[in-house]
Amino acid sequence: MVSSIDLESLVVGYKSPVIENVNLTVNSGEIVALIGPNGAGKSTVLKTITRQIQKMDGKIVIMGQDEDGISEDNLAKKLSMVTTERIHPELMSCFEVVSTGRYPYTGRLGILSKEDIKIVKKAIEMVGAKDVANKDFSKVSDGQRQRVMLARAICQEPEILILDEPTSFLDIQFKIDILSVIKNLAKEKNIAVLMSIHELEFVPAVADKVVAVSDGKVFKIGTPDEILTGENLASLYHMSLDESNVLATGLIDYSNSLKRVLCQK
Amino acid sequence: MENKSRKYITIMAVMFILLVGLFFLCLGWGSADITLKEIFGSLLNPGDVHMGRIVVSIRLPRITAAILLGGALSVSGFLLQIFFGNPIAGPYVLGISSGAKLIVAIVMVFMLSQGKYISALGMVAAAFIGSLIAMGIVMLLSNKVKNMSLLVVCGVMIGYLCSAITEFIIAFADDTNIVNLHNWSLGSFSGISWEDVAISAIIVIVAFVFSFVLSKPIGAYQLGESYARNMGVNIKHLRILLILLSSILSATVTAFAGPISFVGIAVPHILRTILKTSKPIVMIPGCFLGGAIITLLCDGIARSAFSPREISISAVTAIGLSPIVIYLLIKRKEVSHG
Repeated sequence: MVSSIDLESLVVGYKSPVIENVNLTVNSGEIVALIGPNGAGKSTVLKTITRQIQKMDGKIVIMGQDEDGISEDNLAKKLSMVTTERIHPELMSCFEVVSTGRYPYTGRLGILSKEDIKIVKKAIEMVGAKDVANKDFSKVSDGQRQRVMLARAICQEPEILILDEPTSFLDIQFKIDILSVIKNLAKEKNIAVLMSIHELEFVPAVADKVVAVSDGKVFKIGTPDEILTGENLASLYHMSLDESNVLATGLIDYSNSLKRVLCQK
Repeated sequence: MENKSRKYITIMAVMFILLVGLFFLCLGWGSADITLKEIFGSLLNPGDVHMGRIVVSIRLPRITAAILLGGALSVSGFLLQIFFGNPIAGPYVLGISSGAKLIVAIVMVFMLSQGKYISALGMVAAAFIGSLIAMGIVMLLSNKVKNMSLLVVCGVMIGYLCSAITEFIIAFADDTNIVNLHNWSLGSFSGISWEDVAISAIIVIVAFVFSFVLSKPIGAYQLGESYARNMGVNIKHLRILLILLSSILSATVTAFAGPISFVGIAVPHILRTILKTSKPIVMIPGCFLGGAIITLLCDGIARSAFSPREISISAVTAIGLSPIVIYLLIKRKEVSHG
């Protein structure tokens, strides 16, 4: 089986490298969480994969094909994203924002077919944004906007979903909702998900694999249980072992509760 | 969805009818009042009477130019607003029209001093180069000045600077055509020939069709650069096309009618308010129609309000449209893209 994303000795950065030697595989149906302190370069890795910035060195392989050789149109059909960037579309309803996800599939003038509209509606339903579909995007809450942006990414019918901090700044209910949608996407549609996340307590509940980055390199890759130990957290976030042990113990308790909540969804 | 499309089509149909009505009204309107019957008579049988000559060789080209160039100006403004991701943008307020005016004036005065006339196409080329130079300066500034209102202030300053230099050039030029040049530099459709109309029609129609076909990537671009790129839009190409199209459209206007104030910034705003959408596939034809109506109306007022004296069209558009621009500047919360 071909893996969805293969990063081979990838070097990312702007003028100088932010993270070097990233080797990572994400398979279809798998959720991989990227964790690490602020400024560690999580977003830089994601932006490089989505071609927002140019890679400095190494290789990005998407569905078995070198990304350099994939045209913009084709990449759009394989990979979609939700970034932390706030968008300000003028006079656009949430439905219209979601429907932009159909871009790679519509004709020259971008007019939606009946099939497109059906897919858009389904995506809106999936994220639970039906009641805001006709509202002006700029007038709904942050949580709703995030749902809409996720629906937009789903509409693109990708095989890979790249999410940059999809749950930051949301209340607990929205966090749970968004993450349960992401989990369903991976399991039901077999989509490969690579996301950066700051809320470590959610990581065991959603992620199959964790990539910890810190100090310009990939610190460790493993299952949530392997990574979220007191020892690892101490070196990852530069805190004392006493502090991190307390946190790690609490983290396990809380994440078990969240796991139960997410399973009920 | 279908309801919305029907709404857009209805509004455009109403605007089209309005434009046709205004077209006939303007044919009759002016220092020589002509009745509807005389208009039709002269249109069907042009060489016939004195009235016929006024209608066919003076008013008709002028009115056609106002429609085409007014539409071009608003579409140019809309494209600039997309480019800057901000509704406070237009070829006049950013100094692009004045840049075009300056280069046209320089070329014109130089040619006149050599005893030659500049061709219509030459005027457009000069205006296009001027537009691109001014646009380049505005883009350089926009790297430094992230605040759009401040960028507009810079644009207005560029405009003043170019106008001042143009005044100097005109003052030092020595020719009887200077009077025309002076009128043109303030913005006027007077004296437009059929040849000018034909050339502007070709350029404007081609640029309009190009812009319309770009509706899809432009729509994606409204969601910001990163999302547009993720949807498969080639951002670099799109940005270059937006600059070239908006510049050629406003350059054509400046070449034949001089700089016309505020139509490019205000008309897209009026249309967004009426249509309640910013979708380019609706806004591009909407802006064209709206710009045509407003420019035709303002030109009608410019030539008949104090007839037989004519005032510059920019004076009329400024009185009518600058309040809208002020409103936009006040209401607008600064949002940064990126």
